[in-house]
This record gives sequence, C-alpha cells and structure tokens, in this order.
Amino acid sequence: MLRAEELGFAYTPERFAIRSLSFEVARGEVFGLLGRNGAGKTTTVRVLTTLLPVTEGRGYLFGTELRHAGRAERARLGVVLQSESLDFVSVEQNLTLYAFLWGVPRETAKARAEEMLELFELQPMRKRKPWGLSGGERRRFQVARELMHEMELLFLDEPTVGLDALTRRRILDYLAHRARQGLAIVFTTHILQEADQLCDRIGVLQGGRMRAVGPPGAIKRQYRGARAVEAEFERTLTDPERAQVRGLLASKGQGLVIVSDERGLLVFRATNAEDLVADLSRWAHGAGIDLARISVRETTLEEAFVTLVADDAADGGPADEGLP
Amino acid sequence: MRVPPVVRLVVRNFAATLDPITLLVMFGQPAFLIVILGTMFDQLIPSVGASGSYIAYLVPGMIASQMITGAVLAGRIFWLDRRWAMVEQIFSGPFLRAEYLAALLLTALLFSLVGVGIMVLVALPLIGLTPLSPLEVGAILGTIALGSLFFGGLLVAIGGRIRSANLYFTIQSLLQYFLIFISTVYYPVTSKTPVVLRAIVYANPLTYAANTVRDAFTHSFGSSDLVGASILGGLALGTFTLAVLSFRTLEMGPVQ
Repeated sequence: MLRAEELGFAYTPERFAIRSLSFEVARGEVFGLLGRNGAGKTTTVRVLTTLLPVTEGRGYLFGTELRHAGRAERARLGVVLQSESLDFVSVEQNLTLYAFLWGVPRETAKARAEEMLELFELQPMRKRKPWGLSGGERRRFQVARELMHEMELLFLDEPTVGLDALTRRRILDYLAHRARQGLAIVFTTHILQEADQLCDRIGVLQGGRMRAVGPPGAIKRQYRGARAVEAEFERTLTDPERAQVRGLLASKGQGLVIVSDERGLLVFRATNAEDLVADLSRWAHGAGIDLARISVRETTLEEAFVTLVADDAADGGPADEGLP
Repeated sequence: MRVPPVVRLVVRNFAATLDPITLLVMFGQPAFLIVILGTMFDQLIPSVGASGSYIAYLVPGMIASQMITGAVLAGRIFWLDRRWAMVEQIFSGPFLRAEYLAALLLTALLFSLVGVGIMVLVALPLIGLTPLSPLEVGAILGTIALGSLFFGGLLVAIGGRIRSANLYFTIQSLLQYFLIFISTVYYPVTSKTPVVLRAIVYANPLTYAANTVRDAFTHSFGSSDLVGASILGGLALGTFTLAVLSFRTLEMGPVQ
C-alpha cells in the first residue's frame, strides 16, 4: 500500500530534511512515526502525501511511484495535517462541505456527519464556528472531518495533541476498529504510550533518518536500556547481608543504580536486569533467605525511545537500523 | 452525477466565504457610492462627455471596478486558505493545483458578474438604461472576464509569495485604491489632466476596462476599445502566468 525505499527530501543539495527512509505499510496496518521535535515526521508525511516532492530515493503509493502519483492516488488517502485546517462555516457545515469536496453524495454526507458529530462528541458545538472551539475540540473536529470520506490509507500527523485521556482513548479505539476493517494508518505522535497501544509497527526518526523500524515489542527489547528490578525478602536483611547483596550487584551489575534498599525491599535498575535477578536468587538461596517476590518491570516504549535517542546522540549521529 | 472538481471547488469557495458582512462590504460599498457620490456630484458636474450626467458616467466605471471586487475576494479566499492550511488540505486530496487556481479565478469572475448585476440594478432607477446590443453586452462581459483574470491572477501571484497576512492585505488595499482612483472610473482624462497623471491613468488596465464598458453603455464601442481589450488580454495572460509560476513554487506550511 505504501513503500519507501531510501526516500529523502532536501531543501537544497546540502540541506536535507529526511534521508534514506525505508519502510512499508500494509493494508490494515497501523504504522507509527516517532521522533523528537524536528526529527522529520511532518516532512515525511508531506512527502508521502505528495505535498512535497521526492528528491532522493523512491516512494510508492498504491504501487505508483510518488513522483508520478496524482489525483487518483490522493483520492484514496485521508490526511489530517498537523496544522489546523478549517473553513469559515459552522462545524456541521465544515463536515458536509468537506464531504461535498470529496464527492460524497449529499444523503451519505448528512448521515456520516451525524455519526462523526456523535463519535467525536461535537454535537453541542455543531452550530459553532471551529475557530471558536478549544484546542482539543478543534483537533477532534479535524479528525472527524477527514473521516467524512472513504479512504484506504489515512495519515494522521499528531492527531491527539491537546486531547484529554478519555477522548484520546475513544479516538484510538475507533482508529483501531477502522484498521481491523482494513484501513492502513500512518500515525505520528509524541505520546509514545499511544503508539505502543495502537501501532503494529513503528519507525523512530532522528535527525531526518530512520533510526529503527519494527514492532513496538522488538524496539523495546532491542533498546530497553536499564530496567527496574524489585526484590522483596521475607525478612529485613542484616547489615552484613545488605553489604553482600550490594557487593554482588556492584560486581555484576551493568549501569547499576540502586533506587531504594529498606526493610527487606530492594529496588534497583540495571541494563542486565535478568542476570542480576538470577544472581540474587542464587545468593538468597545460598544464604537461606526466602524471596517473597522478585520481578523485572517491562520496558515502556518511552524508555526504549529515550535509550535509542540517547545512544544515537552518544554515537554522534543517526544510523539506519532495521528490526524484524 | 459526479460534479467536476473545479465546480466543487468553486461551490466550496462561495459556500465557505460568503457571509452577509462580506457581501455587504463588497457590494454595498460600490452601490452606496453610485447612489451617494453619483447624486451629490451630479449637482456639481453638469455633463461629462458622451455619458451626459455625472451619474451616467460613474455607473459604467463602477461596473468595471467590479472586476477588482471579484479579484479581491479570490485573493482573500486564497490567503485564508493558506493561513488556515486549506491549501495543503485540498492539495493532499483529489485535486490538481491547476484546478484550485482555475476555481479561484472562476470564483473571481462569477463574483464580478454578480457585482455587475447588482450595480446595474442599483443604477437602473437612477439613470435608466437604454437596451444594449449583443456586441455591447459581449464587450462588457468580455472586459469583466479579462479584468477579473488580470486582477485575480495578480493577487493570487502576490498571495503565493507573501507569508504575512498584514503585508498581503496592505498590498491588496493599496493596489485596490491606487488602481480605482488613478483610473477613469470616477473621472475622465482630459487635455487639462497633468501629463504625468495621464500617463499613469493610461498605464492602468482598469482605465481600458472602464472606457470599454462606458463606450458600450453610450453605444460608441469602437476600435480604440478593441486595442484596450487586447492590452487587457495581454496583461491578463501575463498575470495568469505569474499566478501559475507562483503556484508551482508555492511553499507549504504555516503563514501568519
């Protein structure tokens, strides 16, 4: 449905905005583009929607090379831009007028407008002009308006900015439902939790280059960095026992940070958390102390993202890296 | 039946921008000028050339100036579409840039023609209009069409290069007043007109448009009007080319 092969866009030969992006989006797949401010997410969306020209590499939209993609390909797209776009009529008229622009029959448009007003909780402000709405309401309106017409691939550039948690969840659930029906979605966001929740695969952009591409789970495994371990002993450790434990962790732990060590509860972070859990269990068994519980907390996508971006900064620049 | 993209865009242009206040300002002001300015100056100016009364002189000028009214609306739509990201939204949809530009210019033309109709309706009770021949009606409509294309193309070309609303609307206002006041819309050019001013008036395309419409109204349409129409046509082609170039290199992204 969408394929980028070493895709790039440069303002001038020396000044590129995105470079060497390679990824694919299949029917019914939700692909998340993550990155810091200025990483190139919006530029990528603009190039893929033909708003900006391809200056290097190739991109394919429904099998047509982006340089030759035109009306026919764009007619199968939906695009929610980062910048707010609106017409100077009421919310309801905006929806029906936009549907008219897309050639949606009048009766279908009216019915769909009602559905969108309901779904995006815009009914109370249907007669109001969109520029008089709050930021979150305007964002809801943007997404609702784009969903007025049929599409096969939907681009959403930061669609949930300014939305409260409940509304965000409602929109994400609806998008997941549409994806299950076959809609492909390309989604940029700063909120990594929602990318983790919604996306089948993600691409992490850094400095205009794709730093990593893969399912959120694979990204988290590869870039999980330090993980938190909580170990609770059956009884409070004596000072010599605590010293032994600390010595063990210090000798074997990588990137070790002891977060707390009180009354038999030990919390620490390390990049080799699983190894330390095994070492700690062996030590406890050898010392005849029972472990009430010991657990390694899962890495969040946010932690993996921070690790990835920090690694990149430490390495002095981004490099392409693919994940299964 | 599937509505052609350009027609859909024109309908959208009208539906999305025509609020009562805009209509009042754009059509009310020239209608007000015909009634007030025409009546008041009619007392001071006994006759003006072939037109006879001053008000009969003023009406064709105000009709010709409607081409600017339509063009100003098209420029405003384009600017607001840029400001509110509708240009990007439309370009990412099933439309060509050429269709969007054509729809803007068509909107300017249709709006100008509506303005012409309103001006004629306002003028009828004041001056009465003698029947016009098909050639004279064609000359008026053709002039309005070329003029709309010229001014519409000019404002769209300017709007595509400027990223500040203040600057755009300042240029538009200056251009509008400069073109209307230094033309033959309100007053004739005679042998007493200073040479420099006369040169500027004749460099202004609106002068040719006003003269052609006036000659059609006084049934004195002639070869000089054909020359004027050719000049206007050439200039319209020029600004249309500028508008196309401006569109081809149009920078996307926020404007203020």
